Amino acid sequence: MGKFIIKRVLVTIPVLLGMIFLIFFMLNVVPGDPLTVMMKEHLNEDVLENLRANMHLDDPFLVRYVRYVWDALHGDLGMSWKLNRSVTNLIATAFPYTLKLAIAAALFSWVMGIPIGIVSAVKKNSLIDHLSMGLSLFGVSMPVFWIALILQETFKNILPISGLSTWQSYILPTIVLGWSSAGRIARLTRSNLLEVMRNDYIRTARSKGLSPLRVITGHALKNALIPVITVMAIQIASLLSGAVITETIFSIPGVGRLAVDAINKRDMPLLQGTVIFTAVLIIAGNLLADVLYSVVDPRIRVE
Amino acid sequence: MQENTLLRVKGLYTSFASDGRKDRATAVNGVDLTIPRRKTVGLVGESGCGKSVTALSIMGLLADNGRVDAGKALFNGEDLLALSDREMRKIRGNRISMIFQEPMTSLNPVLTVGRQISEALRLHSDISSREAKQKCIEILDKVGIPEPEKRFVCYPHQLSGGLRQRVMIGMAMVLKPDLLIADEPTTALDVSIEAQILRLMRGLQEEEGTSILMITHNLGVVAEICDEVYVMYAGEVVERADVFTLFRECAHPYTRGLMASLPRMRAKGEKLYNIRGTVPNLRAMPAGCRFSPRCDFACEKCRREKPPLEDLGNGHLCRCFFPEKGGDTL
Repeated sequence: MGKFIIKRVLVTIPVLLGMIFLIFFMLNVVPGDPLTVMMKEHLNEDVLENLRANMHLDDPFLVRYVRYVWDALHGDLGMSWKLNRSVTNLIATAFPYTLKLAIAAALFSWVMGIPIGIVSAVKKNSLIDHLSMGLSLFGVSMPVFWIALILQETFKNILPISGLSTWQSYILPTIVLGWSSAGRIARLTRSNLLEVMRNDYIRTARSKGLSPLRVITGHALKNALIPVITVMAIQIASLLSGAVITETIFSIPGVGRLAVDAINKRDMPLLQGTVIFTAVLIIAGNLLADVLYSVVDPRIRVE
Repeated sequence: MQENTLLRVKGLYTSFASDGRKDRATAVNGVDLTIPRRKTVGLVGESGCGKSVTALSIMGLLADNGRVDAGKALFNGEDLLALSDREMRKIRGNRISMIFQEPMTSLNPVLTVGRQISEALRLHSDISSREAKQKCIEILDKVGIPEPEKRFVCYPHQLSGGLRQRVMIGMAMVLKPDLLIADEPTTALDVSIEAQILRLMRGLQEEEGTSILMITHNLGVVAEICDEVYVMYAGEVVERADVFTLFRECAHPYTRGLMASLPRMRAKGEKLYNIRGTVPNLRAMPAGCRFSPRCDFACEKCRREKPPLEDLGNGHLCRCFFPEKGGDTL
């Protein structure tokens, strides 16, 4: 078990390096000179030359890449061009908002998704099944910004529609961010449970005299939830990074909005930092999913 | 006679619905079956003849689209088919237990062997988890599993097919049921393991006095373990006899066909006999005798009228107008 985790962690190192390389490369080929972005047109050539050398912008691409990785390993993601603060510091300030919102949305999606999936599977083809699967499909297929705007418009007199100051202000962004996840989890839980219920060992469990409820909770659910758990782990990562639209619409000062601001202001180090940060989160989420998988499924543990 | 009867199935009819069709397919068509105490009764027939459905009907474990339309299953005098779900659950796994064909898929892959055995124990008897564990280890030992303490915490994938079937048997026998229904328990195993498993079942039966309903298509298994045999064809019992009578003088052309289809040591170079045609479709049963389209001896009467199940003496029953004693004439 420990060996498996160590092996899995080691595999992520080249993935990380490759990922940083790609992002670094892509932002490097984007047209636009950082110094003109920073200083507008107020500069003469001499000052520019000087600054360029100072900021090591003249160095070859690979040298800059290695330096960036080295600095990043030491927690330094460079300075924001526009805000004149370290990118690490900016992300550290913004991340708690994103984290809180992501956790709220993840909890929402599990608490809603799993029970709804179970009930839908048990009451297959009933009204409650059709209704909840319809709502799930709606959540999965409707664009986030649209749901957000509709909810804001509907509840603007009852609930706060921007910021994250009070607990009430969490309600709308949580629903907006968590709905599609909840829908996906509900549908996955339902289909897995229905599939698992067709297995021979379910008949064995029934032949022992277990009640239908205990057959589901004791035998079917653990098998059905194995894929769901991995999806949940990956989902946390994508909730952490996918809140760009939600954060923007609800004016939440999280990492997603930081990235949007960076794009708007052509703040390359900040953009690079936020993109790499979210990519690391996603890699970590996948790692977590793999480890969880081996915890819940004994067949994976023994290789 | 009554005291010696553990289970008596009377006029069992079971049908299935299928998607997009209004008529139901009748898989079991008026089966009568008697299982005496401490005996092993074989239920033999081709795939799809209704053997398993008969067993699942008795257990109340039919799939959602299945339904018992008529009949009784008197178990110790109590009609199982009239019991409520809750009452039936007290009997299932406790007084009647069942083992299945596929040991590879019949155990839950994410629960330990010990957990799966002790579950039934703790459900039906009021014992602590420590006592349950003790009993589980005892039964694992009894069904011939080496190092039972170690196996207790194993997951099914860590065991071989033969060991898994032993675990299934242990699970079914741990509460010392009155009746064990074994649905092709050795079909998925290789022949040497098959012999071991049959010997194990025989041994447990003698020890605990359990009756066994052995469902199989393998006449070798029947000869090995059964006291009495019912032969089923297309949802009906076509012949019933004790095992000696059946092998010496089976009377129904279908049973004789089955016997003739067995490979023999002596008949070198001879082509193996096979019964021509296939089992009729459940929705398109032939009129008259259901075996008539495949029977070498069928006449006009067979195609018109359904033969009754007649007693040829000594409880040897046969559903044929022209029963012919002396199995080997084909």
